[in-house]
Amino acid sequence: MKIAPTLEGGLRIDPETPDDWHILRAIVLDANGHETDLATRLGGMVTDERVAEDWQDFVVPDLRESFADDLNQIQAAIETAAAFANDGESPIWIKHEDALPWYSALNQARLALEEKYAFGPDPESDPSNLQPVRNEALLRSQFYCALQSFLLRHAL
Amino acid sequence: MPKTTTLIRTETDISTQPPWNVIVHDDPVNLMAYVTYVLMKIFSYNEKYATQLMLQVHQQGLSIVWSGELEKAEFYVQQLQLHQLKTSLEAAE
Repeated sequence: MKIAPTLEGGLRIDPETPDDWHILRAIVLDANGHETDLATRLGGMVTDERVAEDWQDFVVPDLRESFADDLNQIQAAIETAAAFANDGESPIWIKHEDALPWYSALNQARLALEEKYAFGPDPESDPSNLQPVRNEALLRSQFYCALQSFLLRHAL
Repeated sequence: MPKTTTLIRTETDISTQPPWNVIVHDDPVNLMAYVTYVLMKIFSYNEKYATQLMLQVHQQGLSIVWSGELEKAEFYVQQLQLHQLKTSLEAAE
């Protein structure tokens, strides 16, 4: 996979193998892979009884909808590009205005993986010490992080 | 013709509500540059101050990034949570 900045202030992703498409599709799967969704987890941080109930009733549903919109948007971008992948080159274009939903989706995926596997700030340096499933999750998380860094540097 | 007088009464209303703190907590996922970016975007802080707050989050585990009236504090917490920062809202003591 190749990732490069564009002159318009966005990014271009060029998936080259089926594995590349697999890891891109995994973003949404990973983001939805936690039994408690992100909106609920974040909403649970507001515990003061004077505001907590309203928070659960009004803010958490908004957060949930916004996070789902971001995932839907990038899923559509990936699947639209994938539909033309058999014809050869089929880049995914991330325009400047789409950078935040992409960052959000990648962050949702990383937060869910972190909750599930607890890699911590310094994941094991030797991946061979990890169980295969955990190792694959760590590699995906590191790829998402690298893509986020590109977005921060070139598109946000 | 009756004489009329005008009385002027001045009232001072001082809120006794305690201020509310907007607190960002550290987590192992959000990138330091992103936390700085979000603080600049939401509060219009300059980069130097936003970086200072971000480092406080990173090194001390949390930072009070804003204090003030409840309605505004709720808005800021909502915005920070929309950007997926672990954020809480607490009445200042």
